[in-house]
Amino acid sequence: MSLDISFIGILIGSIMASSVPLILAASGELITERSGVLNLGVEGMMIIGAISGFALMVITDNLFIAIVGSMLSGVIISLIFGFLTQSLLTNHVATGLALTIFGIGLSAMLGKNFVGIPGKEFPILFSSLRESIPFFGPILFGHSIVLYFAFALPFLTNYFLKKTKLGLVVRAVGDSPVSASNQGINVILVRYCCILYGGAMCGLAGAYLSLIYTPQWIENMTAGRGWIALALVVFATWSPIKVLIGALIFGGITILQLHMQAIGFRIPVQFLSALPYLMTIIVLVVISRDSRKIKLNTPTSLGRIFYKEK
Amino acid sequence: MATDLRISNISKIYPGCIANDNVSLQFKSGKIYALLGENGAGKSTLVKILSGVVSPDNGEVFLNEKNLKLSSPLEAKKNKIGMVFQHFNLFETLSVFENLSIDATEDNKSLRVRINEILKKYNFSIDLDVPVLNLSAGQKQKVEIIRCLLRSPKVLIMDEPTSVLTEQETEELFISLKKFCDEGILIIYITHKLKEVLSLCDEVAVMRKGKVVSVSQTHNERVETLANKMVGQKLAKIKKKINISKNKDEIFKVKHLNFYSDDPFETNLVNLNFSVKKGECLGIAGISGNGQNELFQILSGEIITPDTSIIFRNKEIAKLNPKQRREYLMAFSPEDRISQAAVPELKIYENVALNNFKSSNFFEKGLVNEKKIKEHSKKILSDFSVNTDNVELKSQFLSGGNLQKLILGRELITAPELLICYNPTWGLDVGAINYIHETLIKINDQEKSTILISTDTEELLKLSDRIAVIYKGKLSKIMPSEEVTPEKLGVLMGGGSID
Repeated sequence: MSLDISFIGILIGSIMASSVPLILAASGELITERSGVLNLGVEGMMIIGAISGFALMVITDNLFIAIVGSMLSGVIISLIFGFLTQSLLTNHVATGLALTIFGIGLSAMLGKNFVGIPGKEFPILFSSLRESIPFFGPILFGHSIVLYFAFALPFLTNYFLKKTKLGLVVRAVGDSPVSASNQGINVILVRYCCILYGGAMCGLAGAYLSLIYTPQWIENMTAGRGWIALALVVFATWSPIKVLIGALIFGGITILQLHMQAIGFRIPVQFLSALPYLMTIIVLVVISRDSRKIKLNTPTSLGRIFYKEK
Repeated sequence: MATDLRISNISKIYPGCIANDNVSLQFKSGKIYALLGENGAGKSTLVKILSGVVSPDNGEVFLNEKNLKLSSPLEAKKNKIGMVFQHFNLFETLSVFENLSIDATEDNKSLRVRINEILKKYNFSIDLDVPVLNLSAGQKQKVEIIRCLLRSPKVLIMDEPTSVLTEQETEELFISLKKFCDEGILIIYITHKLKEVLSLCDEVAVMRKGKVVSVSQTHNERVETLANKMVGQKLAKIKKKINISKNKDEIFKVKHLNFYSDDPFETNLVNLNFSVKKGECLGIAGISGNGQNELFQILSGEIITPDTSIIFRNKEIAKLNPKQRREYLMAFSPEDRISQAAVPELKIYENVALNNFKSSNFFEKGLVNEKKIKEHSKKILSDFSVNTDNVELKSQFLSGGNLQKLILGRELITAPELLICYNPTWGLDVGAINYIHETLIKINDQEKSTILISTDTEELLKLSDRIAVIYKGKLSKIMPSEEVTPEKLGVLMGGGSID
């Protein structure tokens, strides 16, 4: 294995691919949290997305239906969370945790009959360019459409939050739901929408795993990525671009340390496995030092129950 | 077109409290109306009903004889009723322009033009692109007013607007309000400050215990007559005590107090030096947000700053925590009664026990001596005329005034040598304020000292022997209070200079 330029290109391409579920789930959760809702059910919504995407693919043999279905399943399961926290005013943290436990259990049950079934090849775009251009080819081309979407998403999210009216409303609700309500904004509706959007993105993140990244169904295949996504949002101080950076660092070091393990570096394996977590936190803490900016990005009402005076 | 707002037979009942009892009032444009009452008199509820935040159990609101269904704040806005709340309804982390654009129907460009027109017309100077959290309270209020003006309101309701303003800002506000009134906007001014009613308003309605007890022309009223209507009993006027402490020992001395923070919500303190004599009350005036919070926390030991020297009763205490400072006979009454001074979910006697001394024996071998604490608490309740004798009551069910009495009682029953209090009468009604003021004067009479950090100039002038003003973390020179006038304080509080 020589460290030539094309190998590095392929390495970067694979790092990008491994970051996709984190980017998708974290971007979705970021919108949810910016509206003041703390949904700890990311892992659960992802795993539900993974199994429903895979199951729909097997049943309908149609990848489009599978992808859309996985997002819908994310929406449905997040609707449970939304109903409990927004309409029945339950505690966000407890409800989110319950959602994750529920999601993992339900996916294992639904997935029983799908274990061991081979996945379907997901179409990749620009595959000819991938081969013909050295270094940049494997980085820029030959990926699934979901990857391109994922990499555009943080920028779209940033634009949405900073430049659009709706983004302004979401931030306002996250800042002060009482003021927003007094301004005639339907806080509950805004929060529902943000929760459902977060659910859809988590569902898509799960489907990416079971349909594209490792096309098969394995029980508990999200393997804690939902929790990483949650942590990313916080450590990225609710900034979409920093979420992207964090996800790439995490994906990058995960892949690199695997290579390091394979090469046989004289560093304890346990330390190498812990490295992605450590580095992501360190880098994000370092790039988010400006306490001013953090204050401006932090949804002040995060996790607090809002109810309207009658 | 003239505006005519009529509310008829409004009632609103909360569990355990009748907030509005059959309230009927009539307002016409071209006049400024005062709605006067103590805390809990029902003013805020009435205002919330008018702005659509809560809906009444009974009664109707008519605007120009049209029956309004004010089921939501949006409905009130649509019907051209504008409202500036006491606690601002702004989004702190959003910019001024974003705050104003959030419910605008026009595009940003023309909105900016209209906002600039308003800024020019009324002489407001506000940077539209800074986050609201960087603004002073007066500026925040202007943002709220602009938000209302953008919708060309027929009715403008101001809820306790001057509680956070300097004298100058208050004057500016009054000028603006009179301008609005001349332009045909009907103004309803909610307050419990009597002088403001007399200087600004044309008509005054007084509320007490949810009922309107009087409606009259303000030129027929005086401060005393209004106060008596408001409280329902004759008030004993507290006399400003005479400054006698000339050659007394300094009991408390602060040197080189500096505080630096990265947090944009906090204020840096720059080289504060002051001392307090025995039996003296040192007043520290200032608009909230000029470093009072930080100062209080440093004096109480919640924040320890390096290189600061605090001498109390000839001991260096700058490195001691609040509990250790209390052992040296300091006492503290923070501004926020609910979250800093007391734990609302705990019972009265449990809150009392939080302030435990070695000498009080509240705890024995790690166990709670409930009997002792309860006896002690009962004594506080009766000594400080808290209107309950049930020590098992959860503190959150006490009214603001009673909670403050409990807190002061808790702090004072150990006979401290120095009491540091921060806005002790914030949000209280006249009766409770009088009681607290009497108590604070009594402390000084007993040769104990107080530091009174307050945003209420009247209170400071009434209680302090010497006064200093804190502005942007800096302390003005300390002046004997007989040389101080409200105008002087106002200048200093706004960052001006009086020399």
